[in-house]
Amino acid sequence: MHWLHLALAVVFEIAVALSAGKAQGFTRPAWTTATLVSGGVATYLLSRALLTFDVGVGYALWTSVAGVGIVVLGAGLFGQRLGWRKLLGIAAVIAGVVGLQLSGAA
Amino acid sequence: MSVDTATATAPASATTAERQDVAAPSDRARAWLVLLLAGAFEVGYALAVGGSEGFTVLSWSLVAVVFFLLTLYALSVALRTIDVGIGYAVWAGIGAVGAALLSPVVFDETLSAAKALWLAVIIAGVVWLKLADRPERPDDSDRAAHPAHP
Repeated sequence: MHWLHLALAVVFEIAVALSAGKAQGFTRPAWTTATLVSGGVATYLLSRALLTFDVGVGYALWTSVAGVGIVVLGAGLFGQRLGWRKLLGIAAVIAGVVGLQLSGAA
Repeated sequence: MSVDTATATAPASATTAERQDVAAPSDRARAWLVLLLAGAFEVGYALAVGGSEGFTVLSWSLVAVVFFLLTLYALSVALRTIDVGIGYAVWAGIGAVGAALLSPVVFDETLSAAKALWLAVIIAGVVWLKLADRPERPDDSDRAAHPAHP
């Protein structure tokens, strides 16, 4: 259940990044509201996940997987280039998540 | 500052034609201070969200909401001056490293060597990713290819 909470928290954190980008320094009310609402939902789901995960581990997983999601979504939806630098970062995050899981730390 | 020898015979006034619009040093220092503060707020946010126990503990829950607004506001202020990719990378790095180091201090948790290693890999990965996620700067490679001193 905690992995599901974490995964959903990641989805809403990606929504935070996308809407914060469109809020243009929080000058646009609709996107600012979207940022705050998705941030609230993401925070609640993260807090549920952290009932099981260690805080440092759960937080790092959440922010990093969301970071990967933002870049992958940027490439898929907005046609941003996915060069070797980004792929290297994505590979490191995946390796770290798998390593944490295999070492039993997550 | 590089001087192209091929244009050395051009009028002196031409050398000042392309001046970049850069923020004053004091503004930049202030923006970096705000960015570091945003990172600290993000650590506080992570710890408070953990301490809220699924938002059932009122005090930690209120602290989490305050830190959430503070980190968002401070980051947005800092990013008016600092490059978005660099700003996000520093902010995310401080938040994740701070949470990993402080959560064993605040809560009943342990930071084993294996856990620390894999967390370091994850955090390095996301910081690298944020740095890579910004427009390429052709002038940087150009500067490297043509050193200032001929």
